[in-house]
Amino acid sequence: MSQSSAELPEAAVRRFSSGAFSSGLTVPDFAACLQLGLEPVGLVQGFCVMQWGWYGAGSSFMRGSNPYTMGAQSDGAYSESYRCPHGYVSAEHRMWGQNLEQPWVEAAWSAGYGAAYARMLDEATALGAHGVIGVVDRVTPVADSQTSEFHFLGTAVTVEDGPPPAAGVPWTTYLAGQRLTKSIEAGFMPVAVVASMASVRVWAYCITEYQMEGGRGWGNTNQTGEVEQVIRAHMAVRQLARKHVRQKLVGDALHGVQIDVEKRELAQGDEVIDCTIRGNRVRRFKDFDVVPSPRPTVRLS
Amino acid sequence: MSEDVAIDVKAEMLRGAQSLATAPPPNTKRGVTSDLSIDEALLLHSAGWEPVDLVCGVSVASVPFGVWNWGQGEIGVASAAHNAAVQGAAERLKEECAKVHGHGVVGVRIGVEVRNHHIDVDLVGTAVRPVDGGSTPALPFVSDLSARDFTLLKGAGWMPAGLAFGASFVYAPRRSAGAALQQKTQNIELTNFTQAMYAARESAMERMQRSALEVGGHGVVGVKVTEGPMSFARHAVGFTAWGTTVKLVADVHRNIEPQVILPLDDAVVMFAAQNLRGK
Repeated sequence: MSQSSAELPEAAVRRFSSGAFSSGLTVPDFAACLQLGLEPVGLVQGFCVMQWGWYGAGSSFMRGSNPYTMGAQSDGAYSESYRCPHGYVSAEHRMWGQNLEQPWVEAAWSAGYGAAYARMLDEATALGAHGVIGVVDRVTPVADSQTSEFHFLGTAVTVEDGPPPAAGVPWTTYLAGQRLTKSIEAGFMPVAVVASMASVRVWAYCITEYQMEGGRGWGNTNQTGEVEQVIRAHMAVRQLARKHVRQKLVGDALHGVQIDVEKRELAQGDEVIDCTIRGNRVRRFKDFDVVPSPRPTVRLS
Repeated sequence: MSEDVAIDVKAEMLRGAQSLATAPPPNTKRGVTSDLSIDEALLLHSAGWEPVDLVCGVSVASVPFGVWNWGQGEIGVASAAHNAAVQGAAERLKEECAKVHGHGVVGVRIGVEVRNHHIDVDLVGTAVRPVDGGSTPALPFVSDLSARDFTLLKGAGWMPAGLAFGASFVYAPRRSAGAALQQKTQNIELTNFTQAMYAARESAMERMQRSALEVGGHGVVGVKVTEGPMSFARHAVGFTAWGTTVKLVADVHRNIEPQVILPLDDAVVMFAAQNLRGK
């Protein structure tokens, strides 16, 4: 299946042409949707199951994993090396360490997320929808850690007397109901749900290993201290995810951002940190007067 | 948006849809990112402030091997690690806030994980600034208050000054083997643990208050505490306390004078079996 297949499954075409609409909206959200002049036309979905490539010895993705023996990190990707201050100690001593952005993991995530999203939009377009509201997206690991299922679901709508969106691509938003209404009232039109992911692998060098296991190793005292390598990796993965998502905004704003960080510890100090960011890309379509200061109230019941 | 004029949301929706009917001109402006809800963003605007960017601060501080299990009194090195991790994360959050010319960070979500060999702190929030700009302060504030609480606080003439934090970990001394055996069959308070909890509480609260005074605060609001034994060390107890330091910036405190309301829509009375017994 291509990333954006224009051909929908036969059953989906039959279902869409049945005349009755389906929707994932609650009754209050449905009522608010009608009040906005939005007409639900169908519950649309998109799926994609994605596996990302193995990057062990011999893999083309191995580059950058050892600053002493391998090539440089991918162009523009984040990488920092840490060198042991002790010289040769033993074969087990970690003489080098590295924080390495994993662009292939990010690319696989983006491809899976983008494909599922595009397939949901295909269904919405087939219904003649102008937008998709109340979008829910879910990323679930399948079978092992290198495969994920991406699932999008939302309610396709048309705007009463409204023009089709530019290039016929429906707008999308996680919002529905009162929240969507308030956003429109405030002058923010949803453009798209956007998300990005960043992944950083940490190979701890000796000092980081000592600090993370509480050990008194070479040159490491029995004092507390910040673990610089791990901190820099954590800050980097968050900054990268925000940088990636910002590239999709093209000057628009991102509201209701949700940031999720997942770390998988592999050994003392060795870990993979994944950061995902998602939110509603919105565009201001009018200037709005500041809402009056709300009046504080106390309920008697 | 006037208080008295009802907005025709259908017309506004149509207007919004029309704005997307043509491709926008190229825009290189840096867009705002924020984890505030639409309600919070509007509320912030009503107070003359606006979100600027999502900002993060992280720290991981090491805890040396063996400090949790044997000793007396406070586990100073663990307490120091905790406080260093919070300070480090807050400093990074402020750095990110200053980079985007924010005046402070609101709605900070605080994640703290105390592990055997390291303590991890993760802060995420939205940098904010006054709508009319103004010079960036030398030291942005950090607050775990929501945008709603921030607006209310500001209306009362107060401002957040920073995050107040204090932590303490203390050994609960082991009883002698004889005392443990003798007390085995008794209902008895383990005063070693109770006293350790009190000791940890006093140190942590004192540190929290000291951190509030250091940033010129008059008090701390929204204090949250966590306490209890460490899951990985049976004879260590910990107490952490944090909140937002506030200071009075108006001449005097302004009463917000809330209006008392009595909703006329009765709450739905749910059937409950206990009602039959007159409870």
